[in-house]
Amino acid sequence: MKVVLSVLLLVAEIVAFPAWSGATPLMDWGLHVAKEGNGKPGSTACMECHRLDGGGMPSIGSPRIAGQPSQYIAREIREVKAGKRYGPVMAGVVQNLSLRDIRAVALYYSRAKSPKLPDVGPSDPTLVGEGKHIATRGFWKKNIPACVQCHGPNGYGVPPLFPYIAGQNRTYLLRQLMAYAFLKRQDDPDGLMRGIARRMTMTQRKAVAEYFSSLKPPIRDVP
Amino acid sequence: MTTRLFARNFLVAMLAAVVLWPVSSARGGPLEVMQGTEIFTPPPDSDIPQGPFGDLVRKGEKIFTQTGRFARHYVGNDLTCESCHLNRGRKAYSAPLWGAYVLYPRFRSKNHMVNKLDERIQGCFRFSMNGTPPPVTSQTMKALIAYSFWMSRGAPVGVKLKGQGMLTLPKPGSTPSVLRGRKIYVARCALCHGMHGQGRTSHGGQVFPPVWGNRSYNKGAGLYKVAKLAGFVKMNMPLSKGDTLSDQASWDVAAYVDSQPRPANPRKRPRS
Ligand code: HEC
Ligand code: HEC
Ligand code: HEC
Ligand code: HEC
Repeated sequence: MKVVLSVLLLVAEIVAFPAWSGATPLMDWGLHVAKEGNGKPGSTACMECHRLDGGGMPSIGSPRIAGQPSQYIAREIREVKAGKRYGPVMAGVVQNLSLRDIRAVALYYSRAKSPKLPDVGPSDPTLVGEGKHIATRGFWKKNIPACVQCHGPNGYGVPPLFPYIAGQNRTYLLRQLMAYAFLKRQDDPDGLMRGIARRMTMTQRKAVAEYFSSLKPPIRDVP
Repeated sequence: MTTRLFARNFLVAMLAAVVLWPVSSARGGPLEVMQGTEIFTPPPDSDIPQGPFGDLVRKGEKIFTQTGRFARHYVGNDLTCESCHLNRGRKAYSAPLWGAYVLYPRFRSKNHMVNKLDERIQGCFRFSMNGTPPPVTSQTMKALIAYSFWMSRGAPVGVKLKGQGMLTLPKPGSTPSVLRGRKIYVARCALCHGMHGQGRTSHGGQVFPPVWGNRSYNKGAGLYKVAKLAGFVKMNMPLSKGDTLSDQASWDVAAYVDSQPRPANPRKRPRS
């Protein structure tokens, strides 16, 4: 696990900011996979659940992935394939993707842009305040740092391996915190998110999901 | 408590510090006693009073957490006070301010003198922030002292509280190894601090501070002592996972981090 993480980091650091000129064939293929799948039997277009612009579908808790770092997107797909991240819906879809397909589609979505899509159901304004407090100050009694210390100012993410969470849909955010807390998602480096999510109360998880879903997603120029 | 009472207590405390100074110097610093088994809880933010004293406390907190922005002239690297004194100077075993305020003035072996709190803070500016110490009379210093004073409200004076300072680790089983330390660094620290110790920025802000290189603490800083750094890392790093490295691993990774290049000790730099 540690070796894997270190290799990953090395690779991540090398490819963190590649030059884009000449990357067009890969982009084109990424668009193709997003739009129509890779053509192999059983393949599904990503856009059916994540939309072509990567805005996701709040109604089914499908995450927005537009503008996430391409390394992060690629990594999550690999982890779903490997079974370390429990995602029954995704697992069926990504099984037949080749490494090149994954790289291509990750690149495509990392450069996609989408506004925040409205969440289903009313939000709870009392929870937003508590969520903001935890997000910006932490809850140190339980050794929980401010979320923004790892997810960056406003929760805009810290490439390559810390995803943005601002503007993500509420259903998905809460579902992920539950998945970490109850160990259905075990792909987080060094168990950082598992530890944090487990130490939170149910109300606190709801509160931070309310808060981050109430924010605008980042506008990113560089993936 | 009312604002005026606070302001008065603050003045009394400042005065007491001056009056008591020769006394503590005579007995070589405050008693080295651990107080109780509970970690001290500083007062909640909601208790900070309105008015000039409260304003000074709030200003102190801003300087503490965004030092490069609110005390720009005195800072020479990409760290903030909070980079080492976690949770806005509240976290036990990261030299919390509530543990410090009640301990000064005191004798320090580093410069063989009785030091006051403002001098201690100047030290952190000069070495940990690789900068220029703000004068004792500056607004920056007054705000930081007020913030420390506020946080120690209710703490017993003149004693070492549990969680004060950094943890002192027992001597390592085997000599700290830079080689083993490097492996631990790559596996457990580089995710945030980077393979080259450079830290990470996002959207124009420093998110993870550099742990070596010319934007980190200099060779005169407390953390440049492997023992100090080992104690800090043991209790605080990886962030949110303090106390998960073994003692030996903490020594090793500290030895590695402190073997890397960083700015020279200003005491030894030629004066310009
Ligand atoms: C049938 C619907 C569906 C399809 C098709 C689908 N996904 Fe997903 N995807 C989901 C759901 C639902 C999740 C949330 C998984 C969970 O709950 O753990 C998800 C999660 C993800 C994530 C993780 C996002 C994050 O922030 O961690 C990525 C990346 C992703 N999908 C990429 C893709 C790509 C690329 C494709 C096309 C090859 C694709 N998905 C096709 C439903 C789908
Ligand atoms: C110590 C660092 C750290 C802190 C503090 C932290 N996170 Fe995370 N978080 C991570 C990492 C690393 C990941 C990526 C994990 C992975 O790949 O599965 C992550 C992933 C997530 C995800 C999944 C995002 C996605 O797109 O699937 C959510 C949601 C999340 N964090 C919420 C939070 C909230 C809310 C807080 C504050 C209570 C928080 N995090 C604090 C490190 C941290
Ligand atoms: C690079 C890390 C680092 C940074 C940055 C830093 N300090 Fe310190 N600070 C230390 C260490 C190490 C000690 C010594 C703790 C000990 O001796 O156990 C210390 C001690 C202190 C003490 C005395 C604590 C005690 O219990 O005796 C105060 C007060 C203090 N620092 C204030 C500040 C202020 C204000 C700033 C910002 C201007 C700052 N520090 C920045 C590392 C740092
Ligand atoms: C999850 C991210 C994360 C990991 C992993 C991590 N740190 Fe840190 N580290 C931080 C943050 C954030 C701070 C600043 C604390 C603050 O601002 O509240 C910090 C501060 C520090 C500091 C003091 C400030 C400086 O830059 O000199 C040192 C030294 C340090 N870490 C060493 C380590 C070591 C050694 C490890 C591995 C054992 C490690 N860290 C792992 C996030 C991390």
